[in-house]
Amino acid sequence: MLDRRQFLKLGGAAAFATLFGGCEKTRKQIIPFVLPPENQVLGEALWYASACGQCPAGCGVVVRVSEGRAKKIEGNPLHPVNRGRLCARGQAALQALYHQERLSGPMKASGPRGSGNWQPVSWEEALSLLMTRLKNVRAEAPASLLMLTEPMRGHEGLVAGRFMKAFGSPHRVAWDPFGRDALLAACEAVHGVRDLPEYDIANARYLLSFSGDFLETWVSPVHYAEAYGRMRGSRETVRGKFLHFGPRLSMTAASADRYLQIAPGTEGVVALGISHVAIRDGLTPPAAAAGNLMAAGLSAYSPEAVEKRTGVRASDLARAAKEFFGNQPGLAIGGTACGSGAAGVFNHAAVELLNALSGSAGLPGGVSFPDRSRAYARYGAERSLLAPPPESGYAAVRDAAGKMRKGTFRMAILAGSSNPAFTLPPAMKFAEALSNVPFAVAFASFLDETSSLADLVLPVPTPMETWGDDIAPVGHGGAVTLRQPVVEPFRDARSMADVLLAAAAELGGESARALPWKSMRDCIEKNYDGPGERLEKALRDGGVFPSDAAPLRAMRKGAVLPPKAPREAAGAVDPGKYPLALHLYPSTALYDGRGANLPWLQELPDPLTTAMWRNWVELNPKTAERMGLADGDGVTIASPHGKITAHVAFNPGLAPDVAAMPTGQGHSRYGRAAVGRGENPFSLLPEAPEGGASGLALQAGRVALEKTALPTRLVRFAHPEGQWKLSNLM
Amino acid sequence: MTRKRPLTASAAPFLILALLFPTGTACADPLPQPIAFPHMVHVTGYGFDCLYCHSSADKSQYANIPSVWKCMTCHRTIATDKPEVKKLAQYWQEKKPVPWNKVIDVPNHVYFPHWKMVNAKVACLTCHPGMEHAWVAEQKREFGMGMCMDCHRIRKASIDCWTCHY
Repeated sequence: MLDRRQFLKLGGAAAFATLFGGCEKTRKQIIPFVLPPENQVLGEALWYASACGQCPAGCGVVVRVSEGRAKKIEGNPLHPVNRGRLCARGQAALQALYHQERLSGPMKASGPRGSGNWQPVSWEEALSLLMTRLKNVRAEAPASLLMLTEPMRGHEGLVAGRFMKAFGSPHRVAWDPFGRDALLAACEAVHGVRDLPEYDIANARYLLSFSGDFLETWVSPVHYAEAYGRMRGSRETVRGKFLHFGPRLSMTAASADRYLQIAPGTEGVVALGISHVAIRDGLTPPAAAAGNLMAAGLSAYSPEAVEKRTGVRASDLARAAKEFFGNQPGLAIGGTACGSGAAGVFNHAAVELLNALSGSAGLPGGVSFPDRSRAYARYGAERSLLAPPPESGYAAVRDAAGKMRKGTFRMAILAGSSNPAFTLPPAMKFAEALSNVPFAVAFASFLDETSSLADLVLPVPTPMETWGDDIAPVGHGGAVTLRQPVVEPFRDARSMADVLLAAAAELGGESARALPWKSMRDCIEKNYDGPGERLEKALRDGGVFPSDAAPLRAMRKGAVLPPKAPREAAGAVDPGKYPLALHLYPSTALYDGRGANLPWLQELPDPLTTAMWRNWVELNPKTAERMGLADGDGVTIASPHGKITAHVAFNPGLAPDVAAMPTGQGHSRYGRAAVGRGENPFSLLPEAPEGGASGLALQAGRVALEKTALPTRLVRFAHPEGQWKLSNLM
Repeated sequence: MTRKRPLTASAAPFLILALLFPTGTACADPLPQPIAFPHMVHVTGYGFDCLYCHSSADKSQYANIPSVWKCMTCHRTIATDKPEVKKLAQYWQEKKPVPWNKVIDVPNHVYFPHWKMVNAKVACLTCHPGMEHAWVAEQKREFGMGMCMDCHRIRKASIDCWTCHY
């Protein structure tokens, strides 16, 4: 009960609160800038154009910046590669920019190299350490300097290339685990041009895909996906048809009108089967000069013979041939799986033969080779430094690893996202080889498996904080993309090109003459501001976009039959011991593993299995049943080269007796989001590619599976059997 | 005792209401600031246009508090011996922003675009009366919806709810 005293107390408190309540409000502060960012208006966003650096496709981006902070990344609508679109990996660059684990200053290894103990040092100390080493190496044995990076394009590549040349070392190696070696070799053999072809999907009426993954990870997925959208829906009377051959129902395969399953590695045989039918039935246009192909060996690929080897019915082959040659312009496209097995070059060449026979090569809707190096024509022979062919560099890396072991190198410069210590087959023993190099310096934004092995780590800015330029491998239309910092660097970082330029100036002599620029910004400004070019406009647009199309490179007239597929070395791998064919494919979210440290990409469900945060092995349910495996079971996957564990995920569209795995997971070092998420499928691969291909043999291995209890669980976004299945709801 | 029960019932809601809706916008003293910035000297004394410092008032939702760099464009050479300017120079030297206390605020459910008012030629002093004479910034006119509505009606601006609340 309330007595008089209590009432007065309450009343007093209420009166106090009424009178002074307002003064008890949380006090807010307004923090102004010390130095305001250029052009910013408070509360108004600015969009800066730049170049995406999340994969080698080279898309143009625009970044929304508010009060000096990057907020959102979108595709650049003016850019010929992606025309305003952007994929999840491009969007996730924002998370790399703000990542907690980004290196905030130079670090020196303390204790043994690779032990993971670091001591922060100042830039002055780090650079003096670097320069002392560089000067010593140059004075004593300049050729003992190794530079191992991912493929570098634009003036960054020129700076790196000239630096090494002036230094006196020929050992500049670029490594890309998904290099297109087989496709380049096939194009040279069939079309007479050693370059990536431009497939004009938008104007095609018919698409034949051979394990194509052009809608997810292959070469330039946003470019091709945008073009694919136009092929399907932008023309009033034509809706392009899409037929997919492959061993696995991938995201691209799932978009096709028809998916025809084939035995792994037989893409080339199917393609030759289609060519056989076309020539036998006179479907090819007269201009295709198909004359003597039958006599040259095509007669062996009758539909019946092909059916026996690939599993595709002869009637389906005949129908594909009729439709493809009856609906020109059409395209035949081979994907990652087509080119990364023992028969990679053969497969791609067989697919390109279809393009050569179609009569549409060089025409809208067909295959062509726009000249990529036109933009850099002024550099003459140095053009290849600015626009290198998209090779894997596997042979060069293997050669370099061998030389490391022999003690040829006294110093190594490591850079880029291709992370050789993670993506190279374990048999190459890259880490062990690198330990024979007395001094290694790594340029990196994050500590991954490779940069962890260095003596000195120099932090580099993310692509959103750097100056540079780029030319895309396909879809460029002759355009050069410009990269500019959209925000002030978040960390105390300096780009590799800037450090090399400063080092060249200090080394003096030939190095200083070869690299006359003060910084990368200076280099870009001097190269893109002059007669006929205005840097301001180029930066605003996101690049230099010429109004005329790039000239096409001359292609070979007439068709040639691809060389025979290499026979599998007898007794190399015992199919009895290793009953399943291994099919590794680039992860849609993590690519070769470079995206694994970004939680946004980790939590992106795989489009087919909806799995996330961990890796898995896909099996055909019938194969799994025969082996006594259920969906979600833990298994050990063993190849002659390594052993890893993963969870089983059923893919009813996968060919029987195939184990398919995405790459990218299994990091031992790459930050909190990347470590402890399964094991690395690259470690199952053989060292030497068996057969003709010179890149990583992603499809060449064989594995055995064994059920294993795993403490983890595979997280999926949807129920594997379909979330709306009645029995799941009841 | 039983007679006092209604008093409990009347006191409690009063207390709750008082805590929920504090009415004390009219605090006696202006908020203390890290630097006693006199609008009086700058606006009345030297005739600065408001937009010189609050430069985004005609472009953005926010009027903008000038950066330390902007203050220093003048105060690198002007009145450098004054104690308050010395404080400013100290912030600049340390490359630290001045942590001003926020004097003027509108609730989160109101969208107030400064640029629309400025471009419609509503004088800054209409809503911030007396600012030109303030020795320490102070909001003399209380913001209420009535004040906005009166002005919108007189100027025939939209009085649709969505104009300010979205």
